[in-house]
Amino acid sequence: MHDAEGRRTGAAADAVDGVVPRWVAEPASQEGVARTLAQAGADGHAVLVQGGGTKLGWGPRLESVDVLLKTGRLNEVVAHRHGDLTATTQSGITLAETNERLSAHRQWLALDPPDRARATVGGILATNDAGPRRHRHGAPRDLIIGMTLVRADGVTAQSGGIVVKNVAGYDVARLLTGSFGSLGVIVDATFKLAPLAEASSTVVVELPDAKVAVGYAVDLLSRGLTPAALEIATDPLRVVLKFESLESVTEAQAEEAVTLAETHGGLGQLLEVDAQNEFWTAHERRVFAEDGTLLKAVVLPANLPSSLSWLDEATASRGLSYVLAGQAALSVLHLRLTGPVEKQAALVSEWRERLTLGRGSVVVRRATAELKALTDVWGSVGDTFEVMREVKRRFDPRATLNPGRGPGGL
Amino acid sequence: MTPEFIDELEQRIGSEAVVRDQSELLTYESDGLVSHRSRPGVAVLPRTVEQVRAVVRACHEAGVPFVARGQGTGLSGGALPHPDGVLIVMTRMNRVVEIDIPNERITVEPGVMNLEVTRQVTPHGYYYAPDPSSQVICSIGGNLAENSGGAHCLKYGFTVHHVLGAEAVMPDGTLVHVGGLAVDSPGLDLLGVLVGSEGTLAVVTKVMLRLLRRPESVRTLLAAFDSTDNAGNAVSDVIAAGIIPAAIEMMDRTTIRAAEAAVQPGFPDAEAVLIVELDGHEAEVAAQFEQIEAIFAKNQGWGVQVARDDAQRGRIWMGRKAAFAAMGRVSPSYYVQDGVIPRSRLPEVLRRIRQLEQDSGLTIGNVFHAGDGNLHPLVCYDDAVEGQAELAERVASEILSYCLDVGGSLTGEHGIGADKACHMPKMFGDDDLATMQLVRVAFDPEGLCNPDKLFPTPRLCGEVPGPYRAHPAEAAGLAERV
Repeated sequence: MHDAEGRRTGAAADAVDGVVPRWVAEPASQEGVARTLAQAGADGHAVLVQGGGTKLGWGPRLESVDVLLKTGRLNEVVAHRHGDLTATTQSGITLAETNERLSAHRQWLALDPPDRARATVGGILATNDAGPRRHRHGAPRDLIIGMTLVRADGVTAQSGGIVVKNVAGYDVARLLTGSFGSLGVIVDATFKLAPLAEASSTVVVELPDAKVAVGYAVDLLSRGLTPAALEIATDPLRVVLKFESLESVTEAQAEEAVTLAETHGGLGQLLEVDAQNEFWTAHERRVFAEDGTLLKAVVLPANLPSSLSWLDEATASRGLSYVLAGQAALSVLHLRLTGPVEKQAALVSEWRERLTLGRGSVVVRRATAELKALTDVWGSVGDTFEVMREVKRRFDPRATLNPGRGPGGL
Repeated sequence: MTPEFIDELEQRIGSEAVVRDQSELLTYESDGLVSHRSRPGVAVLPRTVEQVRAVVRACHEAGVPFVARGQGTGLSGGALPHPDGVLIVMTRMNRVVEIDIPNERITVEPGVMNLEVTRQVTPHGYYYAPDPSSQVICSIGGNLAENSGGAHCLKYGFTVHHVLGAEAVMPDGTLVHVGGLAVDSPGLDLLGVLVGSEGTLAVVTKVMLRLLRRPESVRTLLAAFDSTDNAGNAVSDVIAAGIIPAAIEMMDRTTIRAAEAAVQPGFPDAEAVLIVELDGHEAEVAAQFEQIEAIFAKNQGWGVQVARDDAQRGRIWMGRKAAFAAMGRVSPSYYVQDGVIPRSRLPEVLRRIRQLEQDSGLTIGNVFHAGDGNLHPLVCYDDAVEGQAELAERVASEILSYCLDVGGSLTGEHGIGADKACHMPKMFGDDDLATMQLVRVAFDPEGLCNPDKLFPTPRLCGEVPGPYRAHPAEAAGLAERV
């Protein structure tokens, strides 16, 4: 049975992390989202929002879902103001579809997190997820300029606007970005866009160890090279560069990167233009598209070599194995970890002990229920937790939205 | 403000850090928006975070409002004191805490000047990107509060993109650490909402900033146009060509002449000039430079000047940055507006402003960040002429309504503060404002932290915003306006 909001009884096919929701709602409009939330609030039901469903397992273990609110019918590019280099999309459209449409004017929403064919704009915002080209373009929180959200009480509100420069009022859109659906339901969002580059070049450089690899990356940047992506990855250890600009520029920079690799004792290879896409897909899949635990670790750039060598020893001594890819200059690392679960938990807690608050963090993203039972997926969020809890309480006093699974366990 | 409360403050932080003398307090009665004046009940000048906490705790216990103030260069009355409150002047907290070149970070206290950050790291080949025109005299704490921009934010973003962490005193005196030195911290993005909150959520006592490497190559060029339409179209063509310059600035005839009269930058006498700056890798800059020259030619640009060295580049920027203060050469008074439009609507909005100029009989100069549609119309008037100040204020408000008509914003960088709080309902609905209030009460349930700013209140909105007058620092040539 469907009602106006596309609400029906949950079925096995709707299960999230093995939990079958009691109800599934798939509203076709902002008003439908508002009615769904108002109804859930009145019924005392907890609501989990689902976009492409690629990241719903992130966060603490899901115990139960009363209402699974799917955004799949909110799948339009509302406006592409190409002369302004901005676009507004609904939250349920996938990133791939969005960028397909924006490419008509040779522009794009400059985000490249994994699973782009399934991951929605709303889900990417809710998790502030980003990929290799965060190096140049930033994370979702850096690109968002406006948002329409529906609060837990069913009230719809706007934040920001459609212009790239705007300091009127609190930046509620940025607050919602990365809030894991715990403060409101994003129905549409406005972004500043980037022009699509005329050409791109990819360089893969194999290097003997982490220290040399980071030294190479630092040297490259200090020489004024401007890659769009600067990845460090294992295994084998390598630095992967993507240059995007005019053809003459990407070629020149790529050649410089290959030459520079030699002086660092590395072996650089410029990929054939046609081989680039395949390479980057494989680069992503090695970490993201297999079984195993997914960790996101952030360290200070100067600590990247020591973190990587520690990681080698700490995993080897515990009988764990990992593959890693991340943004070298930002020192944001994504790891896929396999091996005995209790050893994984021990690794996470030892790593966290090594990181002073504010100087790095380790967050467990995808993990088995067993591992989630052994470890706090977020780790400490520090002395602002009380403020976060108060923000959550004000936005969602009845704890309707993704209760207990927001950042820090909100 | 009771004498007992001031005594209490002196007890807690020492009388040396407390200003209670009524004439001394006059120094602080306004920020850069001098039309709004209010003498604070008392001012304090803490040197340490513990002193800030002691003051805020005392305020919290006694239910006394407080306002943090940096250098007082803000243009929206964000640091306007509360007559029955404490003004917390942060200028003595001006230490550079840590320069960390390997991590490309710097940690500073909020009283450190914007340009000082760049000065500190210049020897290492780094700089701090946000560059409000007042950067010589404005402080980082105020920049964080206002989410300050500048000419180069087209490519490099605003303060929010360059602040990684902050230490802050909550309105109940609790000390918190928001974000950190790493690029991401788990938890809600409180930093994202603290930056740009105009001092209404907490008092920031330490700031961690991201530093950028100096680009390999910088090229600056200027071209003249016979109409603002042509100049506006050239801007659109640059964006359409997929080029994001570091800056694209436009000046119209009025502001060009004012700048010439004041600092003689050698600008062509034209209806409009565009200043474009490209930076980055040498090969990329060179290629884009050629594209820009072609775009200028296509839009009938002429009198192209290319900066051959730092001195020439400095001269061009001096002309641009002097434009505000230079208006004093052509008009006894002027009202400065800060509004934003989608950049593609530039020609049409400029035509409306031109029409308004004719209809009102007041000269309106335009100088603005064309690349991101941030307009700064300068409405000229003469105080000596009866009713002209009021007319100028109405004209400035009218321009703001043009911005909102095309989907723009009330402010691109000066903030809402006390000045535009009453305009907020023109841009946001009741539910939007109520949602922002949820943030406010989560941080500051008693509403003691910089009250009567940003949000429209009946008390506030019974008053009519006044015209712009030069800030004393500006008049003395120490500061310029963006």
